[in-house]
Amino acid sequence: MAESAPAPSPPARDPRRRASRSAEAAAGRRREDQTEQLGQRAVELSRYYAGKIETVPKVPVRSLHDFSLWYTPGVAAVSKAIHAEPDLAFELTGRWNTVAIVTDGSRVLGLGDIGPRAALPVMEGKALLFKFLGGVDAVPIPIGVASPDAFLSTVEAIAPAFGGINLEDIASPKCFDILERLAKRLEIPVWHDDQLGTAAATVAGLLNALRTTGREMREARTVLLGAGAANLATARLLLALGHDPHRLSLVDHRGILDAERDDVDELSIRHPWKYRLALQTNGGGRTGDLARAVDGADVVIAASTPVPGTLRPEHVRAMAPRPIVFALANPVPEIWPDLAKAAGAAVVATGRSDFENQVNNSLVFPAVFRGVLDARARSVPDEIVLAAARELARGAELKGVGPHHILPTMEEAEVFPSVAAAVADAAVAAGVARRRRSHDEFLERARTLMARPARLVRALGRSHLTAPMPRGPVGRRRSA
Amino acid sequence: MTGEATERSTGEHASPPIHLRPARDADVAAVVPLLLRLKRLNEEFDPLLKVREDAEAQAREVLRAQIADPRSVVLVAEGAGAEHDKVVGFVRANVRERPFYAPESEGVIVDIYLLPLYRRRGAGEYLLHEVSAALKAKGAAIVTAEFPAQNEIAVRFYAKRGFRPVTSIHARPL
Repeated sequence: MAESAPAPSPPARDPRRRASRSAEAAAGRRREDQTEQLGQRAVELSRYYAGKIETVPKVPVRSLHDFSLWYTPGVAAVSKAIHAEPDLAFELTGRWNTVAIVTDGSRVLGLGDIGPRAALPVMEGKALLFKFLGGVDAVPIPIGVASPDAFLSTVEAIAPAFGGINLEDIASPKCFDILERLAKRLEIPVWHDDQLGTAAATVAGLLNALRTTGREMREARTVLLGAGAANLATARLLLALGHDPHRLSLVDHRGILDAERDDVDELSIRHPWKYRLALQTNGGGRTGDLARAVDGADVVIAASTPVPGTLRPEHVRAMAPRPIVFALANPVPEIWPDLAKAAGAAVVATGRSDFENQVNNSLVFPAVFRGVLDARARSVPDEIVLAAARELARGAELKGVGPHHILPTMEEAEVFPSVAAAVADAAVAAGVARRRRSHDEFLERARTLMARPARLVRALGRSHLTAPMPRGPVGRRRSA
Repeated sequence: MTGEATERSTGEHASPPIHLRPARDADVAAVVPLLLRLKRLNEEFDPLLKVREDAEAQAREVLRAQIADPRSVVLVAEGAGAEHDKVVGFVRANVRERPFYAPESEGVIVDIYLLPLYRRRGAGEYLLHEVSAALKAKGAAIVTAEFPAQNEIAVRFYAKRGFRPVTSIHARPL
């Protein structure tokens, strides 16, 4: 998850642009080298450990006699109880804490449509994050089907085993359709992290960025560059938070999305989610390219295909004074932070851990799932997502909100149980919780469950049940 | 889906955000891009509705001829308020004879299009009502509508307003 490449050093003075360009190129090469080295190491270690997760019993087994309790004949009574009262599955089995990570492998990281088999390592990694950060048992389930309908019925068919569904790495726009339809059909939360996780982290960062630059959401003029899963969800959340739709513009590869753009009729059929935003946003009907969109804007949130230089210093200079720039493409942001700063940006955020203000969905999804699972929620309506974003923004205050700190870092671990508790509270308030508890009870439970996996990993290491991380190259298969 | 209300409205009242009048020669330039939008939308539904390279020139010709033809109806929709003179939609229809069936005169709606922002508060309904009245005034006793079979939005729009499928046109390439 973390990339440790150093930030490019800021150019000293003029001729600023040339110096910064060559520094940028050198830094870019360094980062590419580093990414390649990390990749090689990841392949070695994946071979050495042969995967990243395994299932581990959570009950004592004193002797084989105990299986008459954990398995037949005793278990029959447990099944009968659930048969009589289905919601008892959340009490008597691990369902309460288990989510499925499902994907069709149609848009994996920046790799594109590499299919379900090749998506598995990513889903395993996600499962590891779910466990380590959220205390959630997550099962990677890449699904090999061709159509959204088949995908939908497969997920629906496996849902009885799970307390939640995490959709991962599914191409846009079918991800919108799949999320909407599954959420309607299932009685457990369905979450698409590429939409909601990223959008919630973005909104949390933006709330603090607006505050620290003395702006109000209502009055901000915002440009969203890129109209993929993340930004369309961000747009929806911003509107729900009271952002003026007239002062919000989306820009994609065809320029400003406008109700009268000539592909709008096609969108009405192929991509109704984008179509709706085309009608709602961009008041005054600005047309043209990014340069036209950013002129005078307070905020730009770029979540596009990662091409460096998508956002240029002149774009930032054309914005309102002390603008807010989120360049979220990974691994290469649309503009390097030092260039954005030099062009006048007051707050810059990226998707990378080696720069300040990392907008990272890992800040969100473990806590959201901890919260909805603890409340045994039936769904995750937007008000829950917004509650998570607000609490995450509040969490940054513990270390003081400022231009260099609009979001907690992953190290500020005390924030995440609070986000989980805020999510659980929101589920209760929204009327989707199967289980109601006080805020303090939710918080305490989240603290305990989220702290446990790190202890577990340490304990497994200390007792040599997981092999220590090998130093140097590891070529051969682990013999254990 | 296409008829959804939006927040970018021009007023609070519930009347359609458009007004209608018969098209004039001077409207052709404004109507052609709308007609092409509709044809390109139709292209989305079926490859046999692929828009020709010279469609723009064709559109100009056809519109001019129909505006002059007493057996045709072409209405333009204009916006309200500040957009009073902006052409935001149109409808094109013909009166056709039916030599073997009664009633013998049929009004056929060939094209009906409104820019997305103007598809609300009964604008489509209003357009349909006005074109039906104009066709009736020219002797038509029934009104029909042609659109791509796959266009379910159109199917729903017309079905809601009492239209039912009467004849079907099926095609295959030769």
